[in-house]
Amino acid sequence: MRPDERKGVVAARRDQFPVGMRVLAVDDDPVCLKVLETLLLRCQYHVSTTNQAAIALKMLRENRDMFDLVISDVHMPDMDGFKLLELVGLEMDLPVIMLSVNGETKTVMKGITHGACDYLLKPVRIEELRNIWQHVVRRKFSTRDRANLDIYEECNKPSNADSDHAHGHVTCGSPDQSGRPSKKRKEYYSEEEDEGEEDNTQETDDPSAPKKPRVVWSVELHRKFVAAVNQLGIDKAVPKRILELMNVEKLTRENVASHLQKYRLYLKRLSAVASQQVSIVAALGGRDPFLHMGAFEGLQGYQAFTSSTSLSSFTPHGLINSPRNNPAAFGTQRVSASKSIQTVTGGHALNHSICDANKYHLSSPGNQQGNLGQGMATSLGQTQMQPKWIQEETDDLSTIFSGNGLANSGMSATLQGVTSSPLLPQELVECTQVKVGSQPSVLTPSVSSGHLEGTVGVSSSLLDPRVSQQTTIPLSEFSASGLPIHGLFNNSCATKLGATSSASTPVHPSDDLLVARDTKAGASSFGSTMLLPPDTEQKYLNFGGGNSFKHKFDERTADSLFDLKFVWSSGLSSQSASNIGAHHSISQRWNNSSSNNSNIGARMIGQPSSSASTVAPHAKSDFLISGDMLVPKNASDLSVPKLQSELSSSSCSFDGLLNSIIKVVRSYHPLVSLPQHPSL
Amino acid sequence: MEYSNLRRQTIFMKKNLFDQGFLDEQFNQLEELQDESSPNFVEEVVDLFFKDSSRLLTNIEQAIDKYPQDFYRLDSLVHQFKGSGSSIGALRVKNECSVFKAHCNDRSLEGCRRSFQKIKREHATLKQKLESYFQLLRQVGPREHAVSSRK
Repeated sequence: MRPDERKGVVAARRDQFPVGMRVLAVDDDPVCLKVLETLLLRCQYHVSTTNQAAIALKMLRENRDMFDLVISDVHMPDMDGFKLLELVGLEMDLPVIMLSVNGETKTVMKGITHGACDYLLKPVRIEELRNIWQHVVRRKFSTRDRANLDIYEECNKPSNADSDHAHGHVTCGSPDQSGRPSKKRKEYYSEEEDEGEEDNTQETDDPSAPKKPRVVWSVELHRKFVAAVNQLGIDKAVPKRILELMNVEKLTRENVASHLQKYRLYLKRLSAVASQQVSIVAALGGRDPFLHMGAFEGLQGYQAFTSSTSLSSFTPHGLINSPRNNPAAFGTQRVSASKSIQTVTGGHALNHSICDANKYHLSSPGNQQGNLGQGMATSLGQTQMQPKWIQEETDDLSTIFSGNGLANSGMSATLQGVTSSPLLPQELVECTQVKVGSQPSVLTPSVSSGHLEGTVGVSSSLLDPRVSQQTTIPLSEFSASGLPIHGLFNNSCATKLGATSSASTPVHPSDDLLVARDTKAGASSFGSTMLLPPDTEQKYLNFGGGNSFKHKFDERTADSLFDLKFVWSSGLSSQSASNIGAHHSISQRWNNSSSNNSNIGARMIGQPSSSASTVAPHAKSDFLISGDMLVPKNASDLSVPKLQSELSSSSCSFDGLLNSIIKVVRSYHPLVSLPQHPSL
Repeated sequence: MEYSNLRRQTIFMKKNLFDQGFLDEQFNQLEELQDESSPNFVEEVVDLFFKDSSRLLTNIEQAIDKYPQDFYRLDSLVHQFKGSGSSIGALRVKNECSVFKAHCNDRSLEGCRRSFQKIKREHATLKQKLESYFQLLRQVGPREHAVSSRK
C-alpha cells in the first residue's frame, strides 16, 4: 500500500480511537517483538515494529505525526531504553511505555523518573495492552490543562503566590484529580509545543485556551528546576523564587508554576507508587537499624530513631505539642507512623531523609524506610530538610518524616514541630495523602485520604483541614508498605496528624497516637515528637504498636498524623492503642509546634527501628516524649509487646518503635490529656 | 476415532507440560492469539524462540569462557534470554535464568556455570517436548475441522 494510501486507511481508523491507534513497538528480541505485535494487532491498534532504537528514532523524527504511542523495551543493545524514552519524550512528547522482564522497583522507578507513562512487565498480557490508549488521551488532556493552568495561575497572581499556588496545587493535586482528569503526573517535565501542531489538536479541541508558546522542559531545564526547588525546600518553593534561582531567560513565572504543579503531582504519584511497592514488612525487615538516625541528628535528640538508642536523644520538646495533648496528633498517622518508622528502620534512609527533608523523596518506594525515618527525623526538628526530588528511596520517606522536610516546607519543616514548627508533618502528611485512612477514624475523615492504614499520609489530613491544602499524598499503602508515611509526609499533607485534634486525644489507642493531637500542629508535632528520648524507644515502639493503633485510630480521630505514624510502625495495627497514647503525648508535643504534620509519624519512625525489641519491655510508658508526660507509663497496657510481635518484622526496630509508640500512646490514653510538657 | 484419540493425546501432552512446570500461562495466551489470520502463530513463535535462543546460548557460553569476570555482560545476555523465554511461557527456563542472574549478582562464576548448564538442559528438553507436541498437533489438524479422514 502506498504511504498516502496507508495513511488514509490509518486515518480512517483513527476516527474510532482507540481502535487504530498507532503504536510503534521497539524491542531487540524478535520473539517478544512478534508476540507484542500480535497482541497489539489483536487490540486493533495499528502497529509498526523495529528491533533497533536508532531506527525507531529515525522514524519518529521523520514525522512526528506518525505515531500516537511508543512501546519500548528497556534492555536493548544499541541504545538504552531509558535514553530512548527521554529522547522521545523531549523531542516528540509522545507517551512512551516501557517493557521489561525486570520488575525491580528501582528499575521501574528509573523508568518513571525518566518520563515513562507506564511500565509493563514481560510477558505482557493483552489486558494490559487494551488500556494503553489512556495514556494518549491523558496526554492530550494534560496539554490542554496545562494551558488552562497557566491561565489560571496568571489570573490568580496573588501576593501570596504560595498559598494560591498551593491551593491551586491542592485542587489540582487532589488525589482524585478533581476536575483534572488527565493530569499526567508522570510526565512532569513535558510540555509540548502547542503551536498549531496537527497531532496535538487533532483529537482535542483546545479552543478556549489561548495558544501560548509552550516551554519544552528539557532535561537540563528540569534539573535546574529541581535544584531550585530543593534549595528552597519543597514547601517554600514558590514559582517566583524558583524562577529567580533558575535564572533562565524567557521562562515565565507561569511556566514554572505549572511545571511545579506537575512536579508535585508527580511526587505524589511517586509516593503513591512507592507506598504500594513498599511493603511495610519489607521496609521494616529490610532495613536494619534503619533508624540510624543520622538524619535525625538534626532533630533534637531525635536520634532515637537510630536503632539503638537514639530515642534517648529524643527531646521531646516540641514533641507533642503539649497543648494539644491530643494523642491525635500522633495518631494522625498511625499508619504513617508505622510507616515512617518503617522507613526509619530502613535505617539509613531515615537519616537521610531527615536531613533532606526531601519531601519528594517520599515517593521513593524503596526508601520507605528511609523516608520514614527521614520524615521523622526531619520532623524532629530538622528544619532544613532539603527536599530531594526523589533522592534516594530511603531518603524520601524519611525526609518526609523527619519532619524536617515535613515540618517546614514541606518535609523538613514539618518536623519542626519539635522546634515548634507547626507544620511539619503537615506538609508531609498532606503530601502523602497517605491514606491514613483506616486509622483516621480518629483523624478525621480528611486524613483518611492517605489511609494510613497503611498509608500514613493521610491521617494528617485528618488533622488539619489545612492539610488538605497541601496535597495529601495518598499514602494509602502506607500500612502495607511502610512507605506510606513517607508519602504522607511528603505531601504537605498537612499531616493532620499532628493536627489530630488534640482533642481526640484520648489515648485511645488509635487516636491517641497522635496525630490527632496536633490537629493544628498537624503533623509537625508528630514529627517532633519523635524526639522521644532514648528510652522512649520503647515507647516509640509502642507507637509502632501501630497495630493497635490502627484500630484505635479509627476510633479516634487520631489525626492522620498519627496514622502516619502508625503506619510506620509497621502497620502496627494493634498497637495503636497503647502506643498511640504514647504517641499522642508525643504528638502533642509536636503539636506544640503546631506542625500538624505528621511529625509524629516521623518520630515514630525513628523509634521503631531500634526499639523493636525493646518495645515489649518498655511498654511502659516511656513514651518518651519528653519523657515525662507523654505517655504515662501505663504503657503497660500498651500492647507494646504486641506491637513487637506485630511489628514482626523484622528486626526493624521500626516496628518496635511503632509499637512502642503505640504503646505509648496507649498508655497515654488514660492520660489523654497530657499536660504540656514543660520541656516542650 | 483416531482423531479424537490424537486430540486427546495432545491435550494430555499439553497438560503434562503445564503440570511439570515447563510451560505457564503465557503459552495459553499465545494459543489464544492464534486464529484464522495466523493459524500457526504459536508454532511460529516457538520456532523463532528456539532459533534465537540457540544463538543467545552460544553467546552466553562464549562470554563465560572469554569474559568470566564480566558479570554485567553475562547478566545482560541472560536477561535477554529470560525475556524471550517468558514471552513464550517457558517457565522452567525463565526460572533458571533468574537463578543465573542471582549468581551474577553474587559474582559467583561457579554458580553461573552450573546454572548455565541447567539452562541449556531445560532449553533442550523444552525444545524436544514442544517439537513432539506440535507434531502431534499437526496430525490432529486445525481444531475447527475434525478431520477424521486424515491419518
